[in-house]
Amino acid sequence: MIRFIFGRRNYYPSSGEIMASIEDPYVLIDKWLRAKEFIVVGKGVARTDAFEKALGKAKYVEDYFQSGILFIKQVLSTEPHARIKGINVEEALRKPKVVRVITASDIPGENQVGYALPDQPLLAEGKVRFHGEVVALVVAEDIDAALEASESVRINYEPLPHILDPLEALQRKDVLVHEEVGSNIAFRTRIRKGNVEEGFSKADVIVENEYRTHHQDHLYLEPEGALAIPGLDGRLTVITAAQYPHLAQSIIARVLGVPASDIKVIVPYMGGGFGGKDDEGPLTAAKAALTAYLTGRPSFILYTREESMRTHPKREATIIKYKSGAARDGKLTAIDVTIIHDTGAYANRGPFILWRATVHASGPYHVPHAKVDGYCVYTNKVYQGSFRGFGNPSVQFAAEAQMDELARKLGMDPVEFRLRNMLRPGLTTITNQLLDHSVGIADAVEQLAKVSGWYSKRREYGVSTGRFRRGIGIGVAWHGISTSRGVPDWSNAYIKIDKDGSVTAFTGIVEMGQGSPTSSHRQIVAEVLGAPIEKIKVTFGTSDAPDGGATHASRGTSIGAIGVLVAAAKIRERLNKLASELLNCSPDEVVIREGKVYVRGDVERSITWEELIKHAYSRGVDLSATGYFFLPKGKFDDTVGQGQAYPAFSYVAMIAEVEVDTETGKVRVLKVWPALAAGRIINPQQVEGQIEGAAVQGMGYVLMEQLVFDDKGRLLNPDLTDYVVPTALDVPEIAKPVYVEDLFKYGPFGAKGVGEMALIPAPAAIANAVSHALGVRITKLPITPEAVYFEVKKHGLIK
Amino acid sequence: MYVKVSFKLNGEDVTVDVEPNEILLDTLRLKLGIKSVKRGCERAECGACTVLLNGSPVYSCTLLTVQIDGMEVRTLEGIQDTPEVKALVSKFVEAGAVQCGFCTPGFIVTAYALIKKGVEPTPENIKKALEGNICRCTGYKKIIEAVTKAVESIK
Ligand code: FES
Ligand code: FES
Repeated sequence: MIRFIFGRRNYYPSSGEIMASIEDPYVLIDKWLRAKEFIVVGKGVARTDAFEKALGKAKYVEDYFQSGILFIKQVLSTEPHARIKGINVEEALRKPKVVRVITASDIPGENQVGYALPDQPLLAEGKVRFHGEVVALVVAEDIDAALEASESVRINYEPLPHILDPLEALQRKDVLVHEEVGSNIAFRTRIRKGNVEEGFSKADVIVENEYRTHHQDHLYLEPEGALAIPGLDGRLTVITAAQYPHLAQSIIARVLGVPASDIKVIVPYMGGGFGGKDDEGPLTAAKAALTAYLTGRPSFILYTREESMRTHPKREATIIKYKSGAARDGKLTAIDVTIIHDTGAYANRGPFILWRATVHASGPYHVPHAKVDGYCVYTNKVYQGSFRGFGNPSVQFAAEAQMDELARKLGMDPVEFRLRNMLRPGLTTITNQLLDHSVGIADAVEQLAKVSGWYSKRREYGVSTGRFRRGIGIGVAWHGISTSRGVPDWSNAYIKIDKDGSVTAFTGIVEMGQGSPTSSHRQIVAEVLGAPIEKIKVTFGTSDAPDGGATHASRGTSIGAIGVLVAAAKIRERLNKLASELLNCSPDEVVIREGKVYVRGDVERSITWEELIKHAYSRGVDLSATGYFFLPKGKFDDTVGQGQAYPAFSYVAMIAEVEVDTETGKVRVLKVWPALAAGRIINPQQVEGQIEGAAVQGMGYVLMEQLVFDDKGRLLNPDLTDYVVPTALDVPEIAKPVYVEDLFKYGPFGAKGVGEMALIPAPAAIANAVSHALGVRITKLPITPEAVYFEVKKHGLIK
Repeated sequence: MYVKVSFKLNGEDVTVDVEPNEILLDTLRLKLGIKSVKRGCERAECGACTVLLNGSPVYSCTLLTVQIDGMEVRTLEGIQDTPEVKALVSKFVEAGAVQCGFCTPGFIVTAYALIKKGVEPTPENIKKALEGNICRCTGYKKIIEAVTKAVESIK
């Protein structure tokens, strides 16, 4: 849809009668999408924050803490499921330096913080639903006093029977995590495309398996924290680590029962998020804000690592039953999938996560007949939430294991088989969405197979009977851009140019390591305005910027920077017009490049950027703009899961080479080759960093990270000694990524999402490589040495 | 019940009143304004709080401040002008080895000690030296690359 809007005629005092410049975001996005030459886009421009971070001068939440500020300590439930008969705070209040103990009954607004369903209190009310749920906040003059007093809060529990296994929870009606729901099913999804019976009847081979995947903790290096300061700037200001300042603002406003305009949220540098601080961030902020509101004093909360691991939401654990069929010609005929997500005590973003898993269940393949059923099931465990990949790594693991097994039964090479079924422009997804552009995955996989030496290695490995066995495996995945289905999504930012020519962009996108505001946003502004990149500053993570959505779902650049581009492009149109008058040429002939403004083909007819800005100020040209863009979305029918699921998809593939020690069970990932079809690569160095980080985080998930719960659902390893994440010694060789720049028509310069991508196929690629090495299908994660040891024994792999 | 502790911090003599159970990380961050030491776990598991104690890298979260009376502590603030740290910082920036940055000061202090020790900069030695520092963002590849280049540029 291309529309031109010509505004009414404007009058500029010195320039006579002229046409208003273009302000329509569609026109501006399209214009810059067509750019052929680039000044800074596509270059490995160093991010602005790297120096101060390397020198330890960058400020994170805790760095704003000072003595004299109240400290908040959380009191966590010691029961998995119990009624709260009473909370006795007398003893705690008598402790020295204790200021207040806050419970649910103190909340002035709504004690309701569920993102998808209204099922979750900020502080437990009536009952607790998992071991570790926050029941009370103890507020004291310092941390030691708060800690000591928190142990004296007496909670009188009446234990209820609890339930930990999602399959059991699905069946039982006598033990309900949320009585008002009437079952333990929090949410259901479904897809019905074509007729699966017919599809399976055409299949020559059928594979049916059950897969299981486990929880993962984000383990961002900086634990959650928030500092709330009443009255600063005339509002209650909260400095916090949340991935969406405007969401934190609205959650705080709801809990306090005040207008959102009374709350300001600032997100400084964040020590990692990975989705976890999208869920927990606003809650952390709300606890600090509530305390500041009730005490009238600056208040600070900082989770210990243990508290963080016990309370914040995890990557979902899943059970996936998957049946798929293919014909002898190597074409998929049907899939029938049941996805069960253990959502734990609260739905949180579980319904959204389940939707994403559901619509991606096929993998990036064309399947004529599909039936998918999803269940988001309550149990009495710490709840599930957003984590890089958002329901997708687990379902791609299952889908890709199926693809390997089908290929094996058909006697085909796994890559060959995938290529025969791969989505291409003109094909439909399992939601029957017609893909009309930006589908570069087949090309990416072909290139990847070549650079990794796939075909020969696939033949050579997997036949050894010695102690060390090599395997090579592939995982191919897709990930929809923006929110699932028709859920509204938009971008926005505000840009202004000061009199000296310096430029500031204000965005709610945060800087949590991914670097979009400190690298790609700056590049986009510099490219569009033509201003020198040193003159461009991005003020990020503030609720005072227009709401442009969260920094999640790989949208920091892909969606978050659309607003930045549109705002800059509006100003550029105005500047072009002004320059055309000053230089006596048409607006189309104006070139603004690295601070020099000149006529195309005549570099001598020029002025400087600073001069141009001075003229703009004296001639009434508005040098400020917002860049609102509402993403156009098609219809989606939830009852059958058919329709437009996303405006576009990013695609990613990974080939992994592993060595399995059949005696110790240890799997070593020797090398991974990533490929990405994510539209324009704005900053290759940052994209590479995202790919490498996600690949290693994915490897940790598959091979070593495992949360262990006891029979009360209590987390037994809330620390880094027993919850093992990769160190420098574990990293595999990571090849230079293969990029296919399949431009997305609404993305800034055609960019799609990157941040999550490389994690999504990692479980599939590594598990398929281990399966190849051993000749045994791996259906369960994590693939720990014990797990491998039992597989080796069960199948008699060593004599 | 405070105890007076004196030590050398970044070349200057300091005396602070501390609780007997106070960890060095808290003394540095909360009493002496040293913010490059980060609090990642407080359990000697992540390396974000790494400082140099008499020249060797240690986790400041596992030391009681009373234990270091009379010793010498150096933090990133105190070594930032050394050629080693200058090289490390510029190579980290160049290589793209900084993402969220919460782990970075710890890595740089550890790598500084590695260079000072004059260890042969093989990939294995570098990885081993960095093993006690966790980074959840970068996947380590660019960190290892940056340290290797910094060591080479110093030689
Ligand atoms: S904070 Fe000291 S090692 Fe983690
Ligand atoms: S850069 Fe985030 S933990 Fe290392």
